[in-house]
Amino acid sequence: MNARLKKFLKKNKKPIFWSLGLLLLALSLWIVSLDYQVRKQFEGRRWTLPAKVYAQPFELYAGQALSIDELQRTLQRLGYTQSTQISRTGHFQRKGNRIDLVSRPFRFADEDRAQQTLSINFSNGRIDRMWNSKSEDVPVFRLDPLLIGSIYPTQGEDRIIVSTQETPALLPTALKIVEDRRFDAHIGVDPIGILRAIWVDLRSGSFDQGASTLTQQLVRSYFLTNRQTISRKLTEAVMAILLEVHFDKTDLMNAYINEINLGQEGGRAIQGFGLASQFYFGKPLAELQLHEIALLVTEVRSPTYYNPRKQPERALARRNLILDLLAEFNVVSIKEANAAKAKPLGLVNATASHSTYYPAFLDFVRRTLRRDYQEADLTEAGLVVFSTLDPLVQAKAEAALVSELDRLDKNTKRKDVELEGAAVVTAPTNGEVLAIVGGRNVSYSGFNRALDAKRSIGSLAKPVVYLTAIESGDYHAASVINDMPVAIKLAAGTEWVPQNYDKNVYGPVPMVRALAQSLNLATVNLSQDVGLPKIAAKFKQLGLTEQPRAVPSIALGSVTAAPLEVAQIYNSIANGGFRTPLRAVRAVVDNQGNTLKAFPLEVTQVVEPTAMYQLQRMMIEVMRRGTGASARAQLGDLVVAGKSGTSSDYRDSWFAGFSGSHSVVVWLGYDDNQSTRFSGSTGALPIWTKIMAGINTISWDQPLPEGLHEVQIEFTTGLAVNDQCTEMILSIAVPNDADIPWREDCKPTDSNLAERTKQWLHGIIGQ
Amino acid sequence: MIHLYLRPVHHSNRLGFFLVVAISLGLSACSIAPIQESAPVVAPAPAPPQPEPAPVVAPVEPAVLETQPLTPTEVVEPSIPLAGTATHSYTLGAATRSLVAQATTQRKSRNFVQAAATLERALRIEPKNPLLWIEYGQLRMDEKNFTQAESMGRKALASAIGDLRTQANAWRLIADSYKARGRNGEAQQAYERANTLSGF
Repeated sequence: MNARLKKFLKKNKKPIFWSLGLLLLALSLWIVSLDYQVRKQFEGRRWTLPAKVYAQPFELYAGQALSIDELQRTLQRLGYTQSTQISRTGHFQRKGNRIDLVSRPFRFADEDRAQQTLSINFSNGRIDRMWNSKSEDVPVFRLDPLLIGSIYPTQGEDRIIVSTQETPALLPTALKIVEDRRFDAHIGVDPIGILRAIWVDLRSGSFDQGASTLTQQLVRSYFLTNRQTISRKLTEAVMAILLEVHFDKTDLMNAYINEINLGQEGGRAIQGFGLASQFYFGKPLAELQLHEIALLVTEVRSPTYYNPRKQPERALARRNLILDLLAEFNVVSIKEANAAKAKPLGLVNATASHSTYYPAFLDFVRRTLRRDYQEADLTEAGLVVFSTLDPLVQAKAEAALVSELDRLDKNTKRKDVELEGAAVVTAPTNGEVLAIVGGRNVSYSGFNRALDAKRSIGSLAKPVVYLTAIESGDYHAASVINDMPVAIKLAAGTEWVPQNYDKNVYGPVPMVRALAQSLNLATVNLSQDVGLPKIAAKFKQLGLTEQPRAVPSIALGSVTAAPLEVAQIYNSIANGGFRTPLRAVRAVVDNQGNTLKAFPLEVTQVVEPTAMYQLQRMMIEVMRRGTGASARAQLGDLVVAGKSGTSSDYRDSWFAGFSGSHSVVVWLGYDDNQSTRFSGSTGALPIWTKIMAGINTISWDQPLPEGLHEVQIEFTTGLAVNDQCTEMILSIAVPNDADIPWREDCKPTDSNLAERTKQWLHGIIGQ
Repeated sequence: MIHLYLRPVHHSNRLGFFLVVAISLGLSACSIAPIQESAPVVAPAPAPPQPEPAPVVAPVEPAVLETQPLTPTEVVEPSIPLAGTATHSYTLGAATRSLVAQATTQRKSRNFVQAAATLERALRIEPKNPLLWIEYGQLRMDEKNFTQAESMGRKALASAIGDLRTQANAWRLIADSYKARGRNGEAQQAYERANTLSGF
């Protein structure tokens, strides 16, 4: 045997030498190429970073109407931990009328703010004083904003990078104990571990004993697919060794912590512990407690199998197993481990009714930014976006839309499809978009009805008609217009014969009543007198993207617009005739903190202020005695103004209106544009009301502008009346030179003339 | 979330104010502001040196009634009581005052983007306070964004009902923005309105 082998070798000496040489060369080349790959990936930018989007920060200031409970809830939403001593960042303590907190350091677009200790004292439902650790008064302070999402690629990875300093020391220790106990000693692969795994697998006949080191897991997540083949295993092992040659253990651990997948939400992959901490607990990784860290380590093995939101028992069992393991290895005491085991999972938004991020709003943010940035800048360059979202308003808008649609669906005939809806909430004075709901599935990033459902706006157009009439100087709230049948010849030779909602004819009515009761015939007649081109131009001035055609049906809302566009128009109305472009973004900052782009406030006066004031007062009457009256049961004394809208055949149900600090637009309908059987008052209004009632808003309250005065008229006739005369009395604002005829039997007597003059004075002074 | 906790201060003499308003309406001196398109330019008057706009932080002080001698061009009944004519006097709260101070510092170092962000914080706290809109307008002047400066002035004017001193400051801002754009006739008219209001 031996002789034959020797003879064989001697005979084939050259070919064997060459074969071995070539093999060695190929192997070297392979290793060199892997080495190049490994180094290139690691030394360059390691991760593409999706733009991070923040909600608007919560401002605290002396004098602010805010209860101590509200602040406590706000802090909890921001992931602040309540404790008995407040030495740590992100912790707060409540004692009597006072909250002490240690804020997180945060880089705002306009200020890099360090961590700060702040004490807030409350009295009578207000903040009465705030001071810092040096007992200096702090007149105003903003909390670090809520991270609401990222602009990650479609079907892509989302992550938040954390440095070694931002990582609690417990995390790498726990990872080593659970996943790779010889991490500090091995060279990337762990032969002892492999042998042990093979032994276990052979005995059990299965492949469940993982033998991969953390380095191998990193390589797998980083460079390779998850297919279990021999060649892949070999490549993985070689790359792991190469990584260990080039980089030290601390770097590798940090890379692992930032790389690994820890969850999935729709098309969004939750990568790394930084994002996972926000995703599961709503706070930075540095602030996690023992039981929370243990849960994240649980997810390493399989984020699907141990999904804490879908498989809470399973996740809890493994979390507690890990806590035991940590005690066993003396990382924590048995007492600490037991205390942590007694705690619940502690997930943020565990009710699952609310999304953890806001696809419809982020969609608008993304579209705003697309005008200035390439897709790759947004998904890769680590930009920071400061948005205008108010998380509390968003949550209320979502909850109102979903719960009311569920209720309304039970009253429909259709069982094949569900009603859909959309809502937009804005702040009138600065045009900031506080909330967008794009459909009843609030966490689904599909068809965004708030932005893309262009629907007929129906009677939401009427305020624009009445505004144009008032601005002409020929009309005011008490002007009598004719609710009479009308037939208008159209260009095509056909006739348009509009009708009232209830098919009745009301005859001569004051404008304030025609708007409140949404009378179609009166409005069409008025629009013919005022002039269609003027009305069409007014739509554009108020903020409709494209000027509508000046056709007769414009007065009844043949205009089509998406809820966001309607929100722009109604925001201009709410803002006293000042148009301010709706914005969802305040500023974009690069990952060094430099402001790349700011979206400052812009205002343009598009309506004469006294005309707008008169319209606003008329819209308040819509809520008092018109199509919006049913809101009062829920809103109580809150003064609001609004208008209902219903398109033909009840295809669309709208309600739009405003308080003193919020403008809200709600649309409801079917995606296939079929009849809903709901008017604006029966469909959209309950949702609108629920949003208004749920958010922290204030009454409409504007002083009477110079040039106007208050007059008491009879709602039905528009005639001036005195107090004693009729039940249907209301106060309206009209120009000083308006001549309003008296109801004959209701003229003021000499005795109450003085009283009326006093009231008139009262009005002009702005009460 | 936005809460205006500072209510305008009410002064007592409403009758006096009424008379002033009635007469000023009669003079068309401080009735309704022209919208967007300004009024046609009247004769380009040989402009006498106009008063400079109020200093930036000046509106922080409570409005004090000025009893300046009336200029001869103004036809005002001598019987008008000049004391207590304004019904409201806007002031800034502690929070907005500190933000305005911060914005002023940022503005002085020509850090306009940050100054704007700071003033917008203040406006979120007191969205209807005309003093803040005037501040913002003056920042826009510094940035040479004169159209927006005028708009901010008009926004201030719309909420400064009853506060003649603030109305005067808003008109000065509007006048400055006209002047900067070379619209001297309109600037002249706006300055006159400001002076008339200050005269009371």
